[in-house]
Amino acid sequence: MKIKSLLIANRGEIAIRIIRTAREMGVDTYVLKTSKEPNAWYLEEADHIIDFTECLSDTPEFLDIERIIHTVKKHHIDAVHPGYGFLAENPLFASRCEEENIIFVGPSSEVIYKMGNKTVAKEIARKNGIPLLKGSKGTVLNAGYAARMANIIGYPVILKASAGGGGRGMRIVQSEAEIERLFNMASNESLKAFNDPSMFIEKYASEPRHIEFQILADKHGNVVHLGERECSIQRKHQKLIEESPSPALDKELREEMGKAAIKLAKAVGYFSAGTVEFLLDSDRKFYFMEMNTRIQVEHPVTEMVTGIDLIEQMIRIAQDEKLKVSQKDIKLKGHAIEFRINAEDVQSGFSPSLGTIEKISYPENENIRVDTGVRDGSVITPYFDSMIAKLIVYGEDRDKTLQYSTNAIRKFWIKGTKTTLSFCRAVLQNGNFRKGKFNTSFLTEELRIYYHSEPEEEMLAAFFAVYDYVRELDEAEGKKLNVDKGKNITPWLLNKRLR
Amino acid sequence: MSENKSATKKGKKTKLIALSSTEKEYTFKNPLEKKIKYMGETVNLKLYEDPNGFSYVLWKNKKYPLEIIEKNQNKYTIMLNGVWHTFTVETPFSLKRKKFLEKQAGDSSVVNIAAPMPGKVIEVLVEEGNEINTGEPVIILEAMKMQNEISCHVDGVIRKIAVRQNDSVMKDDLLIEIDKNPG
Repeated sequence: MKIKSLLIANRGEIAIRIIRTAREMGVDTYVLKTSKEPNAWYLEEADHIIDFTECLSDTPEFLDIERIIHTVKKHHIDAVHPGYGFLAENPLFASRCEEENIIFVGPSSEVIYKMGNKTVAKEIARKNGIPLLKGSKGTVLNAGYAARMANIIGYPVILKASAGGGGRGMRIVQSEAEIERLFNMASNESLKAFNDPSMFIEKYASEPRHIEFQILADKHGNVVHLGERECSIQRKHQKLIEESPSPALDKELREEMGKAAIKLAKAVGYFSAGTVEFLLDSDRKFYFMEMNTRIQVEHPVTEMVTGIDLIEQMIRIAQDEKLKVSQKDIKLKGHAIEFRINAEDVQSGFSPSLGTIEKISYPENENIRVDTGVRDGSVITPYFDSMIAKLIVYGEDRDKTLQYSTNAIRKFWIKGTKTTLSFCRAVLQNGNFRKGKFNTSFLTEELRIYYHSEPEEEMLAAFFAVYDYVRELDEAEGKKLNVDKGKNITPWLLNKRLR
Repeated sequence: MSENKSATKKGKKTKLIALSSTEKEYTFKNPLEKKIKYMGETVNLKLYEDPNGFSYVLWKNKKYPLEIIEKNQNKYTIMLNGVWHTFTVETPFSLKRKKFLEKQAGDSSVVNIAAPMPGKVIEVLVEEGNEINTGEPVIILEAMKMQNEISCHVDGVIRKIAVRQNDSVMKDDLLIEIDKNPG
């Protein structure tokens, strides 16, 4: 069935991104307006706005399955795209859509369930001969059992929430002395974040790279991979910079890993766009980590190097179309890097920086793509994640892309909030990053200072402090008093003038 | 403050120093003339406000966006090209006095551990009187749904614990005092 109308059950940049493609395909778009950001940009981009500003329950709007299902039926909307986060990997939501004959733009609820449970996903991978790190076969429920397992596997080990994602409920344990404390922390975090304290434990590959493969699969058994994304630049398991292709892969390894990704997708009967995540160790051995059954934040780098619109493919697959491309048609051309621009204070441990984007401006040309949900006057609220924009830079090769990136970041100006742009500059300055020699320990082992400032920049800032100070004193002395505007007259000044 | 004012009153002979948080001194003569002597050369700089509402400084043909994030009397936090810097603006005299006072106060042996971000105290891992080494965790703080270990950056003895489990803290709130040279 052809999709004629689509609800985007998401917000921010990804809602705008999905609307852009849906509109090109002639699909009528709906979005949800919440009281948390009633003036957000994504609302204006859609054809229809559904009012969710009235608070009906404690469940946040984008997580309220029954309310969304009810709305879709009431407005006779054909399909739902969940974006990423929120309900994107919630098997219950997908299954409710299936029950109500609503097209869910993603895989089946059964596949979401299987791949979402990491122990089940690993078992499927193991049965299909996909390499795995040594680890617990089932879930681990207490610290004592975790300690016994760790002794068998050998330290260092990593503890992960069975239901986890996004770095939450995850800890690396170096020795037996730490395991009880770290297990309890991770398990607590998991309970709060995912309502499930169960963990699994596996060997921690030291200094691995995070390499993930984008796959596309239709409902007719056709599966292709669209190459890899290198996502090793992370802080506490949160990706910050991603690129495609990876400097670590050659054609043979890409083929081998891509085949493994396809095999897994076929084994579970996957359809839609999906991502198979691997760790690649220093011996160039790869291990299956997990599969993400949704569109990823970093999908634009793949779009840039393949020329394939992943959202379009997801919609086509959802309306039962066959893939038009086969593996041999897919060529990676050029190089793309994505920089996540988060409203965070890099100089204070990446703490969230709330406030209003007073001004935002960025360069625009054929090598640059900016996906963002904010514009002048947008408010950054504590309700949602801190990402405000993605800067994606494309070049003929990696060196060119790095060069264009430096220029693009220089011209990316945001006033009103602190951002991770200074971090992006620091990474771009790093010699080993430029050479492509890095892994997931880049932030903790390689990058000493997380922001970059040239010596003359501190001097210029110092100058401006002094300049502003003197100018203000000068004005206070009445030399440049602007009587007409009136607003410069402080009570202190008035007293003086009256005297 | 009063010395600063008298310095500028003379107008043409203004000399002020911006003292950075890392004790670096930047001296500027007659800042309103916007002429800077840096690395042996004198450069004219220009301050602009562009039509989009950004302020920037033009220095050697490069634009550096800037904004004042915080200003309180002579204390400034300036964001320039995405990185913030803090300074106090001093006159030669006030700087001298400041240094003198700091010297008199001497090296304090108490080191504070402050909250690096706003959040909630999940667990306090130490007790008053405990010996502690660099790198050891002292508190687990939850922020943005992540649990973060706050670790100690000096060797010493826990002098005081300023928070309890489940307390909400703001950024820079005191968590723990550590005595570097106990006894």
